[in-house]
Amino acid sequence: MKNCDQFRELIEAYALGALDPEDRAALEAHLAAGCPDCAKAVEEARWLVCQLAYTAPEATPSDMLKGRLMQTVRAEAQSERKPRMLPTKNAIPSWLWVGVAALLVFSVYSAWTTRRLQNEIREANERAATLGIEHGRVLEQLADAKREAMIMMDPTSRKIALWGEHAHPETLEAKWHSQLGVCIVGDKVPMPSANHVLQVWFIPKKEGAKPMPSAMVRPDANGKLMLYVSAPPESMDDTKAIAITEEPAGGSGWPTMPILWSGKVT
Amino acid sequence: MFLAAFTSSGPREVPLDATLLSRLMQKDVSAFEQLYDRHSRLVYGLVLRILQQASTSEEVVQDVFLQLWRNADQYDSSRGPFVPWLCTMARNRALDHLRLKSERQRRREDQPEELPSVVVAPDYEKALDEKRRAERVRALMASLTPQQKKAIELAYFEGLSHSEIAATLKEPLGTVKSWIRNGLLRLKEGLQATT
Repeated sequence: MKNCDQFRELIEAYALGALDPEDRAALEAHLAAGCPDCAKAVEEARWLVCQLAYTAPEATPSDMLKGRLMQTVRAEAQSERKPRMLPTKNAIPSWLWVGVAALLVFSVYSAWTTRRLQNEIREANERAATLGIEHGRVLEQLADAKREAMIMMDPTSRKIALWGEHAHPETLEAKWHSQLGVCIVGDKVPMPSANHVLQVWFIPKKEGAKPMPSAMVRPDANGKLMLYVSAPPESMDDTKAIAITEEPAGGSGWPTMPILWSGKVT
Repeated sequence: MFLAAFTSSGPREVPLDATLLSRLMQKDVSAFEQLYDRHSRLVYGLVLRILQQASTSEEVVQDVFLQLWRNADQYDSSRGPFVPWLCTMARNRALDHLRLKSERQRRREDQPEELPSVVVAPDYEKALDEKRRAERVRALMASLTPQQKKAIELAYFEGLSHSEIAATLKEPLGTVKSWIRNGLLRLKEGLQATT
């Protein structure tokens, strides 16, 4: 174990960097232990060793070296100045504000577009639903027309003339097909009163049986009437006659007005 | 007050170096250029003495001054003068290069750059201009015995240890230790006497 004086003999060589590893480790351990005198001596020795730099002959480096250095330093100074200035002027760079603004505009536009598209989709769905209903109605009308045509043209259909009563001298014609139903047509049919319709009744043969209410119709503006009854009584033979009265809109369960047209089922 | 003869700089220069360093921390290019103009000959002479090759020495000097530019804030001017700190950094860098070249010690390229600690001036230190200080140190070195001078130079400029110097000079280890210690003490006494 070396004492402090023995370490002092190593200090100049230590500052010079000339100590071998073992001596250097021993001295550094001693310094680490906190010897103030040796620490001060090391500082003085370092100072002394630094003076040895003056023993090297001075020499002048090339101008190119200075040129390269200054070029590098100026470039680094310029690149360091930019990021330093930005935070003082504006904590958020301008490009970020532009980005945020663009994002906001895009968000508003997207929301508006989404809402517009949703409305368009809803309207399209409504139109599709309407068209679907209309389509179904047209198909239904087409099917009715086909049935009416078949009923009218089929020779097995039973022809029934409906004679007008009182102020309705025009004659209507009904044809009853045992499978397809009843079809009633007419021209120059007077228009019923406002809020009234023409309602068809099937009069049973059975005594005391009440008339069976059936389809309702209003003639068109030209007085043309075309009515299809899809569900007449099951048996023509059990039906005595077909009659038409004028009834309030929506029809009645029992005839409330005088018979305008009627014809026997034969 | 015996070491007043080799203070790092004169009364006017010390604050000037400190002022330039203060501006250097603010990335003042002009301050850097003034420091380079003032000290590059000393630094380059030291590095050239160690490496003995101009192109390599310029590379090392460039590294040293770039380190100064990039890490000026690591230098504490209140603890010690600038020139010894700069020379220590230059010597360490040159010796690293020398060792790398001789493959005695390879320094990894990604190893973080370490700057030397500040060289603290002794209490007795007084300001002296650089030219007079250099002349005084050279004169004192010239007054050493050739063996003392050679051993110190092998240690300082070539980074050799006691054992390596002994092997190089083919002299006993104890003798080499005495040459170095006695030479440095004589240098110190000479500087004290100058003061």
